[in-house]
Amino acid sequence: MTPGKKRLNYSYYPGCSLHASGREYDISTRALFKALNVGLKEVPDWFCCGATPAHNVDELLSLSLCAKNLSLAEQVEGDLAVACAACFSRLKTTQHHLKEDEEKRKQVETAIAGPAALDKPVKHILEILAREFGLSKLEESVKKPLMGLKVASYYGCLLTRPPEVPELDDCEDPSIMEDILRALGAEPVKWSHRMECCGANFTLSRPGVVLKLSNAILESARLAGADCIMVACPLCHGNLDIRQKEIKDAYGAPDSTLFGNIFGSELQQGAPKDQRDLPVFYITQLAALAMGVPSGNLGFESVITDPKPLLREKQLL
Amino acid sequence: MKNKLMHLSNETMNVGFVKKVEALSGSSVRRCFQCGKCSAGCPMSAFMEHPPNRIVRLLQLGQGQRVLAGRSIWYCASCETCTTRCPNKVDLAAIMDALRKLSWDADGPSKESYVQLANRLFIENIRTYGRQYELRLGAAFNMKSGQFLKDLMLGPKLISKGKLKMFHSKNKNIGEIEAIFKRIEEMRKKGEAL
Repeated sequence: MTPGKKRLNYSYYPGCSLHASGREYDISTRALFKALNVGLKEVPDWFCCGATPAHNVDELLSLSLCAKNLSLAEQVEGDLAVACAACFSRLKTTQHHLKEDEEKRKQVETAIAGPAALDKPVKHILEILAREFGLSKLEESVKKPLMGLKVASYYGCLLTRPPEVPELDDCEDPSIMEDILRALGAEPVKWSHRMECCGANFTLSRPGVVLKLSNAILESARLAGADCIMVACPLCHGNLDIRQKEIKDAYGAPDSTLFGNIFGSELQQGAPKDQRDLPVFYITQLAALAMGVPSGNLGFESVITDPKPLLREKQLL
Repeated sequence: MKNKLMHLSNETMNVGFVKKVEALSGSSVRRCFQCGKCSAGCPMSAFMEHPPNRIVRLLQLGQGQRVLAGRSIWYCASCETCTTRCPNKVDLAAIMDALRKLSWDADGPSKESYVQLANRLFIENIRTYGRQYELRLGAAFNMKSGQFLKDLMLGPKLISKGKLKMFHSKNKNIGEIEAIFKRIEEMRKKGEAL
């Protein structure tokens, strides 16, 4: 497809989270694509991709679930657009793996009783925006630039790792999120924790893990002077947004700051600890906002850490 | 386990186990030369009794059962930082998957039960509903782990925000999921798949 000449059209695999705990990601993705006049058609009757728990204990099951979804996606025209970082990673991994391993492919094809669609291109929303729609066109489409909004762009684990699978960006030093932010008129901050794990699905089994890891991420973003965090994964969003208050309660005392232990408490004395609320946005929420989509259509009412005061302060509401 | 001496001999060097892990993971275990880069970048190593590089070393020395009995493999977040950074192309994330599968199939000799329970419920949900049904996942986890009060305040908040659905979404082709599970079980019974 040549961008700019023909209307872009995608099939769409939302995944389980986007129909429930990450509903605002789904809502804003649809709103954004509509505003950009890019077609998006949901794959009918898709299944769960298996996410981390399936491949953790049963690789064949994980591969089969993803292969089944890929073959369901064949029914809908256009490359497969995926918003969830975990679904994206699993679908891409499945294609990569089955192309290399003939024996596994045969087992999977027996399990799903049909061919595995290994050539259906799977694309993350980020690469659709930055490469297929194009950064310059994105910049031209902006109606309300996100002026003065300092954003910590958080990649998390699965968007870029391992290097040979997602083909999204550099595996250690990506810039695709920052590029998009600049096109939207926002100001990406430089910070240390953009590729660190948030604790992922331990939020169910061992929430203490999430509190510790996500606390480090929030602290790092505050230290870098960010107003908010931008994510492209519903699980990262859940951990940083839903658990943010709990993290504050657990790590709020001055001595347990990220650097408090290193520099000692004397340096901290007198200075109140930075405890700002950090709203967590999905990439599609910020992009749609910049495209002039009314904020009522972006699912902000579902977010726990209220982003509205910040958006009002920056005159973006 | 702490004070147990490790005896190394031709008998204890369990090459069969290493080969099993290598076959399941598709990655070499023996290629690791212990640079420790995996553990340096591992976000979860602080929670593990054996950090990732030591797990590989234990495997190399035939101490697979020690690894399976510990909780480290269940504390891996599958972030793939180790796989990304390994200079010898040891796919540690895949090795962790293989070890978990071996532990899982042996009905979990590991002490870590919460993570295994969460995984089991997650997969059960897929089999029953085709998609995740988060309310059931959370509720069942609390009941079965005996933590009745865990995240109790969070539930109603998430429901009021529309983030937790009271009812699961329905798939028209739900029968196909059961068929996939059945076919995999059959293949394993016949020995056609691991």
